[in-house]
Amino acid sequence: MKFTYFHLMPYPYLPDDFDEAYSSPSLTFPNKHFDPALGHRLYHRYLDELEYAEQIGFDGIAVNEHHQSAYGLMPSPNIMAAALARRTERSQIMVLGNAIGIRGNPLRVAEEIAMLDHLTGGRVVSGFVRGIGWEYFAHSVNPTRSRDRFNEAHDLIIKAWTSDEMFQWISPNYEYRYVNIWPRPLQQPHPPIYIPAAGSSETIKFVAERGYTLMSVYSPARVIRRWFDKYREVAEELGHPPDPEKIAFSVPVYVADTDERAHREARQHVYWLFRKGLKQGPEIVLPPGYMTPSSMRGVLMARNKPLGKMSYEELLDEGQVVVGSPTTVTNRLGELQSELGYGQLIALFALGDMPHERVIGSMDLFAAHVMPALRPLGVAPASATNATKVGGVGGAGGAPGTGGG
Amino acid sequence: MTSDAGARQIDTPTQEYLDFPGGRVHVFRGGTGRPLLFLHAAGGAGQWLEFHRLLARRHEVYAPDHPGFGRSGDLPEVEAMDDLVYHYLDVIDRLGLARPHVVGASFGGWLAAELAVAAPHLIGSLVLLAPAGLRMPDHPIADLFIMTPEQIVGALYHDPAKAAGAMADEPDVDAVLTAYRDATALARFSWTPFLCNPKLERRLHRITAPTLVAWSADDRLIPIAHGHRYAERIPNAEFAVVDDCGHAMYFERPAAFADLVTDFLARNPSGAADTTEKAANR
Repeated sequence: MKFTYFHLMPYPYLPDDFDEAYSSPSLTFPNKHFDPALGHRLYHRYLDELEYAEQIGFDGIAVNEHHQSAYGLMPSPNIMAAALARRTERSQIMVLGNAIGIRGNPLRVAEEIAMLDHLTGGRVVSGFVRGIGWEYFAHSVNPTRSRDRFNEAHDLIIKAWTSDEMFQWISPNYEYRYVNIWPRPLQQPHPPIYIPAAGSSETIKFVAERGYTLMSVYSPARVIRRWFDKYREVAEELGHPPDPEKIAFSVPVYVADTDERAHREARQHVYWLFRKGLKQGPEIVLPPGYMTPSSMRGVLMARNKPLGKMSYEELLDEGQVVVGSPTTVTNRLGELQSELGYGQLIALFALGDMPHERVIGSMDLFAAHVMPALRPLGVAPASATNATKVGGVGGAGGAPGTGGG
Repeated sequence: MTSDAGARQIDTPTQEYLDFPGGRVHVFRGGTGRPLLFLHAAGGAGQWLEFHRLLARRHEVYAPDHPGFGRSGDLPEVEAMDDLVYHYLDVIDRLGLARPHVVGASFGGWLAAELAVAAPHLIGSLVLLAPAGLRMPDHPIADLFIMTPEQIVGALYHDPAKAAGAMADEPDVDAVLTAYRDATALARFSWTPFLCNPKLERRLHRITAPTLVAWSADDRLIPIAHGHRYAERIPNAEFAVVDDCGHAMYFERPAAFADLVTDFLARNPSGAADTTEKAANR
């Protein structure tokens, strides 16, 4: 099992009347509520937490991109990755991801990631996302072109990294007559690619065909199971059953010394994340054309309960958060591992408005007790060329649920 | 044609499809008289409404669904407003319309103005019902892309009771998908620049057709300042205001708008006489 420490860098200091007065912390939430002095301290606190994650044994530390939002303060994740590059030595630094669908000039992403690859000595991981619907409002990009822009930008970036001859790039949304990036990346042929995906079959197929890492986003485990199964199915059809590490389960986690204490301490912060941070109506999340008709039909037919309407207990039951003592968290993540077959856990520890001390306490317990117990799970069988179905690995890895303390 | 057949046609239009490389285009046709090409708004595609029936009493009304809207196919090659103008030049040819009157509402009004700019001699008279299309930063068009369905309907109607009546209680999946598809087509043409062509205003002088610009007194989507600007820039345009009505225009007060349109077209049956006069004035 590979462990990645993921940060959203939320802005927790919302006004008291937030729930009544504002429809979302994103897009239109007035930036007068951003206190510069507090914001300045937050960035350093959050970067400290990411650096600390490396010190206590996380294999990766991850940042992402959001715009015009108190949900996440990283309009430029590459700047965060650069800040981490020379303060860390071992962890992979993951940008999960650059929102290439909304970039006016995606070649810039190829350049910046290549620079980061050198700054980190080949530790950078490059995630690509389309960007959330409201970011198409924020950066004035036509959402009806989102998927094409993503695909074209992706192809351009990969070619820019891998070509050692200047080339011309002409596609419906981009035209470059001289592509010849300096520097080229350090990792060859290019840094690993991660795709955080909300489950559209188009996207999962795209990820599996290219052997990229698929990362889940907020969803019930039973739904994520379908995505991961689809990924494995497509990959196996293509003759390359995936390394379990390429199936990454992302989930908010909180660990305290007892279950009782963990729930008492986590509940309000979990609610902040789901009811304030992710408060957003369909009109800003799904602007016209952002979804294909078939994906939109899928969303409507699924009739999933909105995240903001789910109770704390429902979130726990559905595997959308994992909270408890080290033993409980180990058991639950082991269960989910055997259900989902993931080989990488991308865990969110700074939940909403959780204070620094709680975040650190939770990380410490996780690293000391949960990580060693789960470490043997989700590893590719020894003879990788003759890999068996990943679904069996949870059991074969032995003893999920017995570790921890 | 007997009057009975005419009446049937008014209530039950014929429907036909025109084939294009990227899909087919659905066209309603009803009524008799001088041909009238009606260009629908963001809403109302695929519907033959009371307003259409009223126009069809005086005109042979052609009401196509724009690419991506209503019962028309996606026609993805029609990417932007300039493509849409060429598309409609094709539609006019394919329907064999000789200088039809062109009536457009809201998004369709913008399209009508673009058509009249691009091919001034191909249309008879022009009626623009609260058209989008102008970039007026001091008088922004409401962002219907970011509004909830409830907010949109609330803003569209002057009369709250009519707004309440227009809201479906619990739209089914297909209704939501249909609305999402229409919104997607609208966004294709108008996400950015937002519901306008910044170059349109300086081209409006090219319009030679007799033109009526009409607005609702209580339009809360497109400020009436846009109407004044259109009327100023289009040579000899008339301007009219309909009271007690919102931007929903022909949904909220179909008879008032139909009367306005048919009276204007009766006074300007061909536009031919005016063309010479206007050309001299330019």
